[in-house]
Amino acid sequence: MTAAAVRAPGAGRGRDLGRTGFVLYLTGGTLAALIFLLPLAWAVLRSFMPNALVTQAPSAGDFSHLTTANYSGLIQTNDILRYAANSLAVAVGTGLLTAVIATMAGYGFARFRFRGSGLVFALVLVTMMIPFQALLTPLFLEMHSLGLTDNLIGLALFYTTFNLPFGVFVMRNTFLQIPWELSEAAAVDGASAARTLVSVLRPLVVPGIATTVLYAFLFSWTEFVGALTFITSNSLYTLPLALLNMEYGSVGQVNFGYLEAGAVIAMVPCVLLYVGLQRFYIRGLVSGVVKG
Amino acid sequence: MTPPGNVLSRPRAARGGVRTGRRLGSWGTRVLGRGLGARRSRTGMLLVTPAVAMVGLFVLFPLGFAVYISLTDWPLIGPYHFIGGQNYSLLVHDPQFIHSVLFTLLYTAIVTGPILLVGYGMAVLVRSGRFGSVFFRTAFFLPFIVGLATESFMALLELQPDSGAADYVLSKIGLAHANTAWTVDYGLALTAICVFVIWFASGLTMMLLMAGMQGIPVELYEAAEVDGASWWQKEWRVTLPLLRRNIALALIISVIGSFLAFNQFYILTEGGPGTSTQPVVMWIYEEAFVQYHLGYATAGAITLVVVIGIISAVQFFLLRDSDSGRSRGDRRPVRRPVRRPVRGTRR
Repeated sequence: MTAAAVRAPGAGRGRDLGRTGFVLYLTGGTLAALIFLLPLAWAVLRSFMPNALVTQAPSAGDFSHLTTANYSGLIQTNDILRYAANSLAVAVGTGLLTAVIATMAGYGFARFRFRGSGLVFALVLVTMMIPFQALLTPLFLEMHSLGLTDNLIGLALFYTTFNLPFGVFVMRNTFLQIPWELSEAAAVDGASAARTLVSVLRPLVVPGIATTVLYAFLFSWTEFVGALTFITSNSLYTLPLALLNMEYGSVGQVNFGYLEAGAVIAMVPCVLLYVGLQRFYIRGLVSGVVKG
Repeated sequence: MTPPGNVLSRPRAARGGVRTGRRLGSWGTRVLGRGLGARRSRTGMLLVTPAVAMVGLFVLFPLGFAVYISLTDWPLIGPYHFIGGQNYSLLVHDPQFIHSVLFTLLYTAIVTGPILLVGYGMAVLVRSGRFGSVFFRTAFFLPFIVGLATESFMALLELQPDSGAADYVLSKIGLAHANTAWTVDYGLALTAICVFVIWFASGLTMMLLMAGMQGIPVELYEAAEVDGASWWQKEWRVTLPLLRRNIALALIISVIGSFLAFNQFYILTEGGPGTSTQPVVMWIYEEAFVQYHLGYATAGAITLVVVIGIISAVQFFLLRDSDSGRSRGDRRPVRRPVRRPVRGTRR
C-alpha cells in the first residue's frame, strides 16, 4: 500500500513497471510482435524461393536456394508490372481526387455559412454507414450505362466516392482547428476564398490532406470486391484481380511461387507508406471517423 | 492532433460546424455588409457541390435504385417486371440465403470476442509510450494495413496440405497432420479463416482503444493509487468504465466488418466446400453476377443495408447517450449553453 502511495507523478497508466515488469513487457511485446510480423516476413522469404521449393514442406536447407526467379517470371509471363501500374494509377488517382474534393468541401463546411449546410454535412457523414458491398448491383447497372464499368477512371470515381465522407470529415476538422484570425485577416485584406485557401491556409491544412490521401490510397490499392465487379478486361486488372487470375484462371497447377511474389509486390507499398507516414494515419484514426 | 476526447463525438461535431459557420457569417455581415455575406454563402455552396454530387450520384441514387431493383425480377439483359415484395418473401424461404446469413452470424460470433480481447491486451501493452511501444504498435497494426485480399493470397499458400507453413508448424507440435487440407473442409476452413481474421483485425481494435486510454486523465490513476488500488482495480474501476464508448465503437466497427466479410472467403474457399462457407456478401455477388438474378440479389443486399443501418443507429444511440454521468467535461457539451465561452478562449 505504501509502495503504491509513494510512486512518482505520471505513474498513472503504469509507466513505472520496475525492472521485472519492464522485462516482462519487453518479452511479451516482442513475442506478440513476432506473431504479427513473422507471417509477413515469411511471405517475403518464400517469394524468393524457387517454385519447386514453395510447394514442398519448408526445411532449413531452403534458405540456401534464394532466387529472384519468381519476380522475373512474373514480369515476363504474367505482365505483373502492368497490373501494378493499374493498381497504382487507380490508387493515386483516387488519392488526388479525394484530396481535392474533400479539401474543397471541408473548407466550405468549416468556413462558410449557407442554407442547409448542417443538413448536407450530416447527409455526407451518414453515407459512411452505407456499405458499398451492398450497392454493387445498382452501381454496376448505373456505371455500365455511364460507360464507367471496365474502366479504371470509373473504378477510381467509385473508390473516391466511398472515401469522401471520411475525407470531408477530416478536412472540415482540419479547417476548424485553424485560428479564425488568419482567414479573417485575409478577407479584410481583400483576398478571395480561393486566394485565402491557397496562400494563407495551405500550409496549415497539409497534414489533413496527407491523412486523406493516405487513407484513400491504402483503401484503393488492393480493394477487391469492387474491382472484381466492375473490371472485366484482363488488361485492366488491378493487383488482387491479377493474383486471383493466377489462382483460379490458370490451367493446371497454381504457380504458388508467382502468387507469393505477386502478393509481396502488393504488400510492400502499404508497409512503406504506413511506416513512413503513420502519424498521419493515426491522426485520422483519432479524428473520430473510422472505416472498418 | 484532435484531442482523444473527440473520438466519439460525431453528432456534436456536426452541430458545432453549423454554429461555427454562423459566426463568420454574422461577422461577415457586420463588418463587410450584406453583399459579401451572400457571396460567401454562394462560395460555400460551390465548394461543397462536387462532394455532394459524387455522394448523390454513387451512393444515394444507387441506394434508391437498389430499393426499386429489389422489387423487380431484373435480369442482367432483357426486360424486367415489377413484382412487388415477391423477392423478399422468396428470400425468407431460400435455404441458401438463410445459410449464408447464419454462417455470417456464426463467423461474427466467433471472431468478435477474440478480436476485442486481443486488441485490448495489445492496447494495454502499447498505451504507455514506454521504450519500444511505437515499434510494437506498428507491428501489431501492420496486418490491417497490408489488407485482407493480399494476405489471403499469402494464406492460401500456407494452408496447402504438405507444403504450407500451417501444417508444418502444427504437425511439429502435434496439433495437426502434415497433410491437412485446410481450405476444402468446412470446419477446418472456418477455423483457419477465423484465426487469420483475428490476426488481421485485432490491430484496429488496439488503435481505437489505445486512443481512448490515452485520453483518460492521469490524475484519475494517481488518485486510485493514493487509495491503494492494485493494477487490476485501476483497470477495472478506472479504465473500463471510461473506455465504454471506445469499446462500443470498436465492437460495432468489428461487427460491421464481419458482416461484410468477402475477400478471405472468396480467395481461400470460394465459398466451398459446396456453398458451406459462403457469407452474405458472397451470396449477393454470386446471385447477381454469376446467376444474373439482379432483382433477387438486390433484395438480399437491401436486407443487409437495413441490418447494418440498425447497428449504426445503435452505435449513435450508445455513443451519444450512455454513461453521460461519467463523462469528462468535453464529452457532451452540445446541450450546454456554456459552450461559446469555451470556444472563445481558444481564439
